Amino acid sequence: MSMFILRKAEPKDVSDILRLIKELAKYEEMENQVLLTEEDLLEDGFGDHPFYHCIVAHVPEEHQSADGHVIIGFAMYYFTYDPWIGKLLYLEDFYVMKEYRGFGIGSEILKKLSNTAVRTRCSSMHFIVAEWNKPSIEFYKRRGASDLSLEEGWRLFKIDKQNLMKMTDEE
Amino acid sequence: MSRGMDFTIRPATLEDCKDISRMLLELAEYEKVSDQIKITQRDLEQDGFSKNPFFHGIIAEVPEHLKSKDGHPKIGYSLYFYTYSSWKGRAVYMEDLYVMPEFRGKGIGKALIAKVAQLGLAAGCTQLNFTVLDWNKSSLDFYLKQGCWDVTSDLGYHCMRCEGDALQHMAQGDH
Repeated sequence: MSMFILRKAEPKDVSDILRLIKELAKYEEMENQVLLTEEDLLEDGFGDHPFYHCIVAHVPEEHQSADGHVIIGFAMYYFTYDPWIGKLLYLEDFYVMKEYRGFGIGSEILKKLSNTAVRTRCSSMHFIVAEWNKPSIEFYKRRGASDLSLEEGWRLFKIDKQNLMKMTDEE
Repeated sequence: MSRGMDFTIRPATLEDCKDISRMLLELAEYEKVSDQIKITQRDLEQDGFSKNPFFHGIIAEVPEHLKSKDGHPKIGYSLYFYTYSSWKGRAVYMEDLYVMPEFRGKGIGKALIAKVAQLGLAAGCTQLNFTVLDWNKSSLDFYLKQGCWDVTSDLGYHCMRCEGDALQHMAQGDH
């Protein structure tokens, strides 16, 4: 499987992006948590101020997946900011369909992302991994990633919409 | 505006970068990592106040007669930016939240976070995310009281980072 290309996602890709997001969520046993729609992806990724960027992995027709797809992997990322060290690249989602693993597609995606990070003068690439996801943790650690939750005690917190609204009502 | 303390919350401007820089250093000292700051006031001005800002800021300010012991009326801030959840869409990430020690306990922190929440909701966000150090008990308590939950504890999500040499090697495809 040397025949694949990586390219920037285009508006026509949103259907495949959503499909892959759901596949990844299913792997994380969170499939019913995906509320995003194709319309959201279109509006939020391809307007004047995109909330995210996406690269997709594309195989030729003759190598299409068992269920007939040619977009077989993707990465979704955006830029964040650490006021101590500056710009960062945040990797939100990263996924290659099961039948296409082991061919170096994931590595190439990661290489392209880190190139983007270095080129845009980001000092670091951040992402989160579930602690039970041993294969992914190994994949990243092999490439020099460090676990900030373990090493520095960082804990990720969230406030959802309901509580956000309560917070703004109280002021 | 709040319990007996007169203050305002407003968007940060270029002129505020001097005070943001000052308070950033105070926050870094509190988190015991002040030697890690590589960003200058100039970087903040460029990265936050050009055509495509990488972050947004809000400032908490008190009137002249209530300014701090060392003469500062700008006594708290929050830095935030917009992110994206592949499950839920638009989100807002609160990178820094800080109130000078002598102004704590007066609802200023709560007002800052409420403002970030308000701005996030107005921009169509469905969640506000941030990270807290596990030894920072007073902050953990403050946030849990506001209705947030610890994603690291509850879902086992760990924050990972790839930087410096590792990032360069990854860009070259070595591993």
